[in-house]
Amino acid sequence: MNTDIHKLLRLKRYETPTSDYFERFLDQFNERQRSELLRQPTWNLLWERLVGVFPEFRVPNLAYAGVAAAAVVLSTFILVTQKDTAPTGPGLALNDPRPTVNVLPPGSGDIRFPVSSRSEFPPHYVLEARPVSYESPYSF
Amino acid sequence: MAETVEEQEIKDVDLVARTQAGDPRAFDDLVRKYSPRLYGLVYHMTSNHEDTNDLLQDVFAKAYRSIKGFRGKSSFYTWLHTIATNMTINFLKKRSRTYNMSLDDVDNGIHQDPDFIEMTSGPDARREVNLKELQQRLNEAMMKLSNEHRAVVTMFDIQGMPHAEIGKVLGVSEGTVRSRLFYAHRQLQNYLQEFLVN
Repeated sequence: MNTDIHKLLRLKRYETPTSDYFERFLDQFNERQRSELLRQPTWNLLWERLVGVFPEFRVPNLAYAGVAAAAVVLSTFILVTQKDTAPTGPGLALNDPRPTVNVLPPGSGDIRFPVSSRSEFPPHYVLEARPVSYESPYSF
Repeated sequence: MAETVEEQEIKDVDLVARTQAGDPRAFDDLVRKYSPRLYGLVYHMTSNHEDTNDLLQDVFAKAYRSIKGFRGKSSFYTWLHTIATNMTINFLKKRSRTYNMSLDDVDNGIHQDPDFIEMTSGPDARREVNLKELQQRLNEAMMKLSNEHRAVVTMFDIQGMPHAEIGKVLGVSEGTVRSRLFYAHRQLQNYLQEFLVN
């Protein structure tokens, strides 16, 4: 340790305010505390009173996580309920998305396409010929 | 008879418990007890009386708000010094680079201090030291240090705190405290060469 520097720096401890400063300081501190108390929002004061009445009352550590989980469950429930109660009824039958196919009477044409009438699938057509890709490359 | 450190700590524990139980007069006693010491800590880091006064008010207000959470893992003294040091360092980081130094008056006790007598008289005295000039130069030199180095110098050299206690306050190892002190002293030696006797 550099003792010369240490001795020099120790002289700084004599830089102090006058003794009455510290007496005034406490009064100033108490005054400030009181004015801060008056500036506090009402809910904060109510909360402090509540904690004062029930000193053991504390917000549990997992309370915030619990509230967040409850909010997620509630919003999911609301979404599911809305989906189930979506408008259904005869009005929708008018807009049936099934394609209409004009089927030729028997013997009136050479080409016929068997049409699937199931509504959940689009109609698909089956040709009798094998696709070219199914031919073996060595067949020629 | 002066109280021992243990007796003081027991008294602090009692005052803290009474404050936690809602007795504001107990906290007043803690303010009375620690304000001169904390004033020194903050003042020697800021070199400004007005800033020190405002900061000290904030430090005690924060301590009062947080005292219910004080569990006594460290001494109240260490806990309070930690709050004061952190708040002062944060304040200094925000304070603009240009600031006005406002120095406190030097207590008359300095004239009886053996180190001061040695420096200003006797065969080794390099120059006649003007007290005001010495104060000014010491503070200027201190303000050239980084906030962290100044904190260590204030606690060790001016306030006489042991290395281990400073480490606890700053949350660093004793080795870090020693290394910061070494570096700070080397810097200060350059700034204050003309005031050093040897």
